[in-house]
Amino acid sequence: MSTKQALLLSRNFAKTKQAKIDVAMKHGAYSMLKKAMSMKPDEVTAIVKESGLRGHGGAGFSAGTKWGFIPKDKFPRYVCVNADESEPGTCKDRLILERDPHLLLEGALICAWAVRAERIYIYIRGEYFYPAKVMQQAVDDAMKAGFIGENIKNSGWSCSVHLHTGAGAYICGEETGLIESMEGKKGFPRLKPPFFPAAVGLWGQPTIVNNVETLAFVPRILEIGPDKFAALGTPRNGGTALYSLSGHVKKPGVYELPMGTKMKELIYEYGGGIRNGNKLKAVIPGGSSSHILTAEECEDLPLDFESVAARGSMLGSAAVIVIDDTVSIPQLMIWLTRFYAHESCGQCTPCREGTDWLVRLAHRFADGWGTRKDIDDMFELADSIDGKTICALGQAVAWPTKSYLQKYRHEFEALVK
Amino acid sequence: MPRIQIDGKPVEVPDGLNLIEAARLLNIEIPHYCYHSGLSVVGSCRMCQIELEFNGRKSIALGCNTLAADGMQITTTSDEIRSIRRAVLEFYLQHHPLDCPICDDAGECDLQNYYMEHGLHDSRVDLAEKKHKHKVIDVGPTVVLDSERCILCTRCVRFCREIVGKDQLGVYGHGSDAELMNVPGTKLDNDYAGNVVDLCPVGALTDKDFRFKRRVWYLKRTPSVCTGCSRGCNISIDWETSRSYKDSGRRIQRLKPRYNKMVNEWWICDRGRYSYHAVDAPNRLLMPISNAEEREHGVSINAILARAAAKIEAIIDQNGSASIAVLGSAHSSNEDLFMLKRLFADHLKVQNIDVNLPGEANGSEDQILMKADLAPNRRGAQAIGAVPWGGEGQNGEAILEGAREGEFEILIIVDHDLTQYLGEKALHKLRKHTGYILYLSSHSNGMSEIADDVLPLAMWAERAATYTNFQGRIQRTSQAFDPLGLATPEWKYWYELAAMLGCKCDYETPQEVFNAIGEHTESFKGLRWDDLGDQGLMLTDAPEPAYRKIQCPNPLPAY
Repeated sequence: MSTKQALLLSRNFAKTKQAKIDVAMKHGAYSMLKKAMSMKPDEVTAIVKESGLRGHGGAGFSAGTKWGFIPKDKFPRYVCVNADESEPGTCKDRLILERDPHLLLEGALICAWAVRAERIYIYIRGEYFYPAKVMQQAVDDAMKAGFIGENIKNSGWSCSVHLHTGAGAYICGEETGLIESMEGKKGFPRLKPPFFPAAVGLWGQPTIVNNVETLAFVPRILEIGPDKFAALGTPRNGGTALYSLSGHVKKPGVYELPMGTKMKELIYEYGGGIRNGNKLKAVIPGGSSSHILTAEECEDLPLDFESVAARGSMLGSAAVIVIDDTVSIPQLMIWLTRFYAHESCGQCTPCREGTDWLVRLAHRFADGWGTRKDIDDMFELADSIDGKTICALGQAVAWPTKSYLQKYRHEFEALVK
Repeated sequence: MPRIQIDGKPVEVPDGLNLIEAARLLNIEIPHYCYHSGLSVVGSCRMCQIELEFNGRKSIALGCNTLAADGMQITTTSDEIRSIRRAVLEFYLQHHPLDCPICDDAGECDLQNYYMEHGLHDSRVDLAEKKHKHKVIDVGPTVVLDSERCILCTRCVRFCREIVGKDQLGVYGHGSDAELMNVPGTKLDNDYAGNVVDLCPVGALTDKDFRFKRRVWYLKRTPSVCTGCSRGCNISIDWETSRSYKDSGRRIQRLKPRYNKMVNEWWICDRGRYSYHAVDAPNRLLMPISNAEEREHGVSINAILARAAAKIEAIIDQNGSASIAVLGSAHSSNEDLFMLKRLFADHLKVQNIDVNLPGEANGSEDQILMKADLAPNRRGAQAIGAVPWGGEGQNGEAILEGAREGEFEILIIVDHDLTQYLGEKALHKLRKHTGYILYLSSHSNGMSEIADDVLPLAMWAERAATYTNFQGRIQRTSQAFDPLGLATPEWKYWYELAAMLGCKCDYETPQEVFNAIGEHTESFKGLRWDDLGDQGLMLTDAPEPAYRKIQCPNPLPAY
């Protein structure tokens, strides 16, 4: 990792045995929890709000605002840590879980303190065996050290932490799908409204569902202060982000950089440029469900939520997938639609039937019998799915599909029989 | 009471109503598959999307999951909405087998209806790409599932869980491989299983009883009331109109529940649903039967009535009315019982009248719909007074006792098959000691063998009548078709007999009889046939019961 990086979250990633509680505490773990517990819960929420911390799970919703949605007099309340990191291209939460689990625990506990929650659930994706093991050990250690359990540090506040591993469904990363799965049901996202689990969540109770990275930022915000944190990024995009850089770069990996870092800087300076001296063709800036950006569109693009949205895509989980000129977009389309068709929960019609149909159409081009009409059909299908579904998985497949077809239509046409 | 506008038409709707229901008030149909008024909202079919303008914001919203709020403006016919509906229909139809020509649901299928109304697209799917799923799955003793036709609306799943409280159907697999199946280790064998066929908006769940029997467009629908137990669920009789040569003359093809908020909502039990087989059963009585000598030559109804009248007159002259006993039936309608009481109690002063017998067959009872009392009109019999009369008459039990001792010269029995109540010896004694037994029944049974004269009764589907259910609600049935053979409604026999015995009544139709009940009977005071409507009316002395959602006491959540 480069020295230029703003080391906020990843400060202790390289330290050996940081997952052990004594090592972590030597590096300052849980000191911010103590600080938070010396404050009133509302003050903590206010600080987080002030810092401009936004959700790093994909939607970029202000974390402080989310915490503020909790109804005043409804108890018990829960905090769910969304560690169901399954978006293709995203691999940042894994590092936090493995390398600095106590940072996450501390953040989750501060969040629980801020919203007066009595239980924290950490929902880890099923494939993360090792991170789950590390996390469980961290929870056990923290419990022994008295940061979790009854009457934490004589504050009169009790909070327990439970680990829950998923069974490998992408859709359980959707917050209401996660809640359903946690309740022991099929991971079907819930019908909206009610829009926010903060009002009606786990077992109908107020629940904060936040991404691992988002919560891990909380102790750091308390440490350096909201102003300094906000100053790190661009306006309305506070702090840093863990950019998961993957694809055809020489040095793929997770880079912590201030929000608003230029795309080109990330790819060429940190990522070491495109492999084999190839040309940059396109970039998927925020996980597979975001619109693809052409090389020209990436020119001068600062990686923050607003700037990427202004180019017609989204920063999402900041998973930057770099694509060089050896890639065929119609092939990419197969890969993309197959993933979403496989991960569609099958609850609502457009997504269940539409994703599967898109796969079949995408295959036609690879198999050499696609027609010009199929291109139009695919676009129309994506349009019929977009925004017409219960959860955002419909958009997640429709947006990239539409952008591939719009920006690389000539590649599809070249394959028309 | 929010005031909203739907397609430009203003309407005031009750609180807590969603937009599909609100639109219904204006007779506007917002198409939908997964939504059902009686079940929880899942919003998964995405068919009911409408354009909503509220607080200055325009959006696409779900009709089922949006509660009407003051000032909402709803458009159900815009181009965008049309294209959404078209798209959803195309999604549903891409793997649909399109086997309408052999599908029982053809003609009442929402896929067909909405396709004609909103779809009308040409298929874009290559036949070879069609996905195949399981067909002819035996999900339960009464229902068959065709997974290829299923659109996964989960109405049936929710019905079993929320109304019956049993986990017997579920959707397994995910994405486009999702399929409706039995919950492992179970069968769809609850007492309300037939309702899933009514709920199914397509032909995925079909009734074994109705499967491949009739195209629905050959059926005529007549509103009626189930006479299977004392609840009196509202039903529709679907009966064959023209092709009587099919299935050895089976006329009723199926019964469907009819909505009545206070009685059965949208459901009926399977016991009632399949009870119609009795109407066209081979053991129906078609002709009057008389004693041995006449049996060979046949006898007319009038001859039997004349003989009965003569015997009754003679016995009353000789011994007084105490040697006559009448066992009416709680299966008879209000009109029948009123005429029975009018003739025997009021005119002939017979005191030994009762409809209740000890040990009448009971059915199973649950807290959803089924009642143990299988007689549809016991409450009505009580209200009309077809009970031991004058305070000195004998009740049903005593009448049976007395008959064995030869207490009665004439015994008139409606419907009760005494062979079910009495042992062979007792029955033999009763027969020996009773001078004349007149028996009225719809079916031949042990009793019709030993009675002196037997008159055939018309059944509930063959006549218009009213019944009073256990709550005290009087409900109307309509005549779907003519009675079989010479069968006649019971009240007509009493009417004719009364005329012969000098009790003049002037009733031509059951309507007139019912209006007479309203004039002469305390509990029915002021009630008239035309006022009953399709939801019925309460007895004047019975309080309107509080609304209760028809549901088992411990329902399961949607899923």
